[in-house]
Amino acid sequence: MSVVADATAGESAPIGGSPGSDSPHHVGRSRGRALMLEFTERYALVALFIATFVFFCLWSKTPGFHNASNIKNVLGDESVIGILALAVMIPLVCGEFDFSVGNNAGLIQVLCAGFMARLGWPVVPVVLLTIAIGGFVGLLNGNTVARVGVNSLIVTLGISSVLLGIVEWYTNGQSIINGISTGLVNLGTGEWLGLPTTLYFLVIAAIGVYYMLEHTPYGRYLYSIGSNREAARLVGLRVERLVLLAFVLSGTLAGVAGVLLVARNGSGSPQAATILNTLQALAAAYLGATAIKPGRFNVVGTMIAIFFLAFTVNGLSLAGVADWINDAFNGGALFLAVLVSTIIGRRRAGTG
Amino acid sequence: MAEPGQPGDPQTAPQPAPAHDGPPTAGSPSGAALRIDHLSKTFPGTRALNDVSFEIRPGEIHALVGGNGSGKSTLIKILAGVYHGDPGGTITVGDTTVPADHTTPAKARAMGLHFVHQNPAVFPDLSVAENMVIGHGFDTTPVGSIRWRGLRRQTQALLDRFEINVRPEALVRSLRPAERSMVAIARALQDQEGQHTGVLVLDEPTASLPRAEVVRLMGALDRFAAAGQTILFVSHRLDEVIDTAARATVLRDGQLAGTLVGDEITEPRLIELIAGRTLDRMYPVMPPVAGDEVALEAKGLTGGPLRGVDFQLRRGEVLGIAGLLGSGRSELLKMIFGAYPIRSGTLVVEGRPVRFHDIGDAMAAGIAYVPEDRGSEAAFLDQTLSDNVVASSIRRYWRGMKLRNRAIDHDARDIIQRYFIRASSEQQKMGTLSGGNQQKVVLARWLSRGPRVLLLDEPTQGVDVNARAEIYSLISKAVGEGCSVLLVTSDFEELSRVADRAIVLAGGRIAAELRGAEIEPVRLTELAFSTQEVAS
Repeated sequence: MSVVADATAGESAPIGGSPGSDSPHHVGRSRGRALMLEFTERYALVALFIATFVFFCLWSKTPGFHNASNIKNVLGDESVIGILALAVMIPLVCGEFDFSVGNNAGLIQVLCAGFMARLGWPVVPVVLLTIAIGGFVGLLNGNTVARVGVNSLIVTLGISSVLLGIVEWYTNGQSIINGISTGLVNLGTGEWLGLPTTLYFLVIAAIGVYYMLEHTPYGRYLYSIGSNREAARLVGLRVERLVLLAFVLSGTLAGVAGVLLVARNGSGSPQAATILNTLQALAAAYLGATAIKPGRFNVVGTMIAIFFLAFTVNGLSLAGVADWINDAFNGGALFLAVLVSTIIGRRRAGTG
Repeated sequence: MAEPGQPGDPQTAPQPAPAHDGPPTAGSPSGAALRIDHLSKTFPGTRALNDVSFEIRPGEIHALVGGNGSGKSTLIKILAGVYHGDPGGTITVGDTTVPADHTTPAKARAMGLHFVHQNPAVFPDLSVAENMVIGHGFDTTPVGSIRWRGLRRQTQALLDRFEINVRPEALVRSLRPAERSMVAIARALQDQEGQHTGVLVLDEPTASLPRAEVVRLMGALDRFAAAGQTILFVSHRLDEVIDTAARATVLRDGQLAGTLVGDEITEPRLIELIAGRTLDRMYPVMPPVAGDEVALEAKGLTGGPLRGVDFQLRRGEVLGIAGLLGSGRSELLKMIFGAYPIRSGTLVVEGRPVRFHDIGDAMAAGIAYVPEDRGSEAAFLDQTLSDNVVASSIRRYWRGMKLRNRAIDHDARDIIQRYFIRASSEQQKMGTLSGGNQQKVVLARWLSRGPRVLLLDEPTQGVDVNARAEIYSLISKAVGEGCSVLLVTSDFEELSRVADRAIVLAGGRIAAELRGAEIEPVRLTELAFSTQEVAS
């Protein structure tokens, strides 16, 4: 990418105040247009979200859409996927994929349920331990990717499959229903101030990740590594360590999502979180990178994207479309999001 | 394409009757191989080219010169069909004329324009031999398998002719950038062989080549021109324009500044046309070395291609390092910066022996490093100027559990001012800046830390005259404030003007040391080449 940029970044770029710009009138108009374009780009997703939402509220085929219970349900369920989207985003910022977040959350939720149900361990240590196991899976990923230098896509896809296998082995394909701490379930299914509790956890996680990416040196380092790894190394960043940490954080967040799934569903099910959820999370992260700060993975964009996708899928199912449409929609959204964010990113780097 | 075993030296190769003979023919009334008439190009808000007309004669090497923003890249892109010109302009090759607003890559090819771009399209994961033939099909046996032996032999001949010291089966990925460009140029020139029609257009072919390779490449271009090949090349390097070009066209701010012929092509004349004013001194007066205090000392430094390097760098001194490609000059800088493993030997920084475990240690000791390959080792192209400028010192802005983003932007604006960076704001993306401005950003990133020792690897490569002058004055200012500089450059003119002292690296050792007036381009060239022969 940088190679292409070098070739075209020369004199021809009509951006900014290059010498020889003749009429100021001309410049003013094109700057106005550029600002318009910028604004459109930033808020297109928000507008699309609002339009879709209003559409489903008014559409006669989806009368139940705007019921408070439906909206709360979507918010509550999707908050967990939102945390997965945050998890997948952190490695993406430094240019790495973590395909294991979905299955990692899946493993954590059966372990969390299992430790309580089968071993009878108290809830607090179980929650802490299982989140730590999520982080440990991230450590395995990160160590292989950052220190050994294996392609992250392959590593995390492989690990993902291993995790799936462990889940099958541990559950025998059966959900773990009995013996789960009622305190935990009450926490996960309850409401605070009329909103599902899981949404609050998502908000806390989102603020945490936002703070980390935008307001700590670590966030800047991750973006630098994602932009140009060798240059990042040559400004003194310990790239391996930073990338490793990104995977650990990703795994830990996946662990949190797994625990929240147990709390919300009241069970540990082998099907509750899989690679399909990873794809949803990826779709949200990429779609989010087309909004708010276009061309850059960002928390606010990702949060808007996750709920845009969720409410659209919800509206479509209420309208009675076949189930396969939902899968196709999520996959299609990922495809389009990657396409658009790549184009935006390329143009912004001056290489398009 | 040449038969295997017939390397086809252009001077002995059979020459078909050139399509564009010296005297004017009916087909090309002016006798020009390439003629550009009234070419303009308007971008929203900018006129990149304004009514440019000039012609290139058959069999001549014609240089196209100009600073960043002069419009020369735009012109090349219109020729290549990447951009359309404004209506009204025309491009004529031989007897074919194409309106400038109707150019396409296919038409450019049909007209006989052959391009080698600045970042050549080589395939890193294929071998050199495969890269050579990838464009025009493999020679295969009746059952469709590739004739590898013939291909290898053919490629070897081509590599020998261009004096490229790589094996045909080497992966292009494993080559240095310089060697990659040479492979790409060889590939384009092989297409031309035996049929010297059309025009070979080279867009900064030497931007990433060290001096010695430039000399060889230019020699090859001379031979081709003598055999009747018309060549248009874009270059930032005035010395090669002076040495090689028969005529040189200079663009400035999108307009034709003038065309120089033969002996008129001199450095002062070129600079005057490029800059639009005489640059009295492109090179600054460097402040004298203050005292004998040693800032950095290397004792028996060994690792990579280096086999025991000793030198001392004094406070406020500019020590130039000359050497050919592969002499270990870049590795030497990286070792000092903790970015390349040292096998044995010691580094002493300000009297204290140091052992850097990583780059952070070197930075903490006050060492700064501007790498050779800006695109892949220094620039964060999709990030803002602000991000780029503070990349090496973000930690400073971490106060009270918060990154002081406003302070970062404030400092970035200040740095843009102080380091002559031309940008609309600190939020502009790095990738949208010209090469010279990007280089100033990278320099500013390090100089703003106030380093004690500055390691510079080809700091003015691919940078226009004005930006070069600015970069020199920034270096000079830093030196005046007590910074010591190790300067690796293949531009021996630059070395002789900027360095207080120079060492020549060859065969992994210091082959010679020159002081003051002894540092002189011819002498440096001699030493770099001759010692190389002794060593090998």
